[in-house]
Amino acid sequence: MRPDTWGMFADPAIWRFFGDGLVQTLALSVVSVVLSFPVGLAFALGRLSSRRWIRWPATAYVEAIRALPVLLLIVYFGIKGSSLFRPIFGADFELPRFWAGVLGLSLYTSAVLAEIIRAGILTLPRGQTEASRALGLSYPQTMRFVVLPQALRLMVPAMMGQLTTVIKDTSLVGTIGVFDLLRQGRTIYTQFFNPIEVLLIVATIYFVICFVLSQLSRRLELGSVTREAKIRMTELELRDQAA
Amino acid sequence: MPGAIAFEFPDLFFGGLWLTVQLSGLGLIGALVLGTAVALMRVSPIAPVRWVGAAYVEFFRNTPLVVQLFFLFLGLPLLGLRFASDTFDNIFRAAFVGMALYHGAYVAEVVRGGLLGVDRGLIEAARSLGLSYAQTLREVQLPQTFRAVIPPLGNIAIALVKNTSLASTIGVTDLLFAAEIVESRTFRAGEAFLTATLLYLALTIPLGLVVNGLERRLLVVR
Repeated sequence: MRPDTWGMFADPAIWRFFGDGLVQTLALSVVSVVLSFPVGLAFALGRLSSRRWIRWPATAYVEAIRALPVLLLIVYFGIKGSSLFRPIFGADFELPRFWAGVLGLSLYTSAVLAEIIRAGILTLPRGQTEASRALGLSYPQTMRFVVLPQALRLMVPAMMGQLTTVIKDTSLVGTIGVFDLLRQGRTIYTQFFNPIEVLLIVATIYFVICFVLSQLSRRLELGSVTREAKIRMTELELRDQAA
Repeated sequence: MPGAIAFEFPDLFFGGLWLTVQLSGLGLIGALVLGTAVALMRVSPIAPVRWVGAAYVEFFRNTPLVVQLFFLFLGLPLLGLRFASDTFDNIFRAAFVGMALYHGAYVAEVVRGGLLGVDRGLIEAARSLGLSYAQTLREVQLPQTFRAVIPPLGNIAIALVKNTSLASTIGVTDLLFAAEIVESRTFRAGEAFLTATLLYLALTIPLGLVVNGLERRLLVVR
């Protein structure tokens, strides 16, 4: 490795440049997760509905989106996002790059969260629902006061895990022109021709954030979880976290 | 008809699909071999070997795959390491190595979980019957592990097929890349991406059904 290529990292301007990218990366992750949660919850409940006309479309949405590469969704909204919204916002509407990225990431994340939430609800013992129905609570009341408070607690580790996946996935938005952490790094190394150094620094930043979050999610064991439920949740996490 | 554009550009779409399938298949084999080796390192009785395995798993799981791909494709040649002299081969092999390294970390976690899940009594019984550490591993632990890890490995395989799309960012002309080229030539983004979507679903949905079937048949509750 040429030693002189590290010297430039003494300049605080380079770190401000990385910092701008990091802010974009974190903003994208947080906004996407916050938007995905209500959508995921709605689709999870939809999949569990006893009405077929709700259950089937919800199942199709979740299964189809989870089976697609998240990069495909991001690139699609990057290219087509503006014209999709023109009928609503007028012919001059340009979808900002950031929001195209958020759309792609949230669409995918909402399907994954729906699966996590559904698994959490299904792993609760049926007796819980039956008892509250027998006590005279309606279906929405049973969900609101009995099932969801327990199920959501069960899901906290899986959701934290999903957050690390979203942070990793935000690195894909550089392909549609959002200046996230990786994209800022790429700008630096095309200028200074030092991809090794820059990519090592970028990888380290992602690593520190994701490692801390994944360690936290392992430590979090809320509520009493059966062994079977835990196995089911980890298997779910695997499919969606590697992506 | 949706997807008809695939027959206007068959070389791009079906050639891309073929590259996606190749990269998935080779990547999966690589990930399984590497992951199993790392899992064995992680249950090794020698502490430094365990540490190396753990460091590998944590590093590759907690950094984005694209960063790893860029490193393999741009960084290594600067260090004088190229996978092939031909540019196309170099990119494809870099993508293959990236797939194997990244998913290998996930495979390692699954296989390790399977190995640790084997009843300690069985291992102790095998050792006291005079089997060596290696024999116990081969004859007792691994066969038991195999059954328990098949469904989760199936889920990693699905993730891998989807993640091959990231290879398009370093220039592998896979399915997603084909859709992007067709879009830039025809401006028919809707059709091009719908076609790519259908072709990806044709790969991942059947795979998902197989994995679900295996999950039900092989369910092991310990």
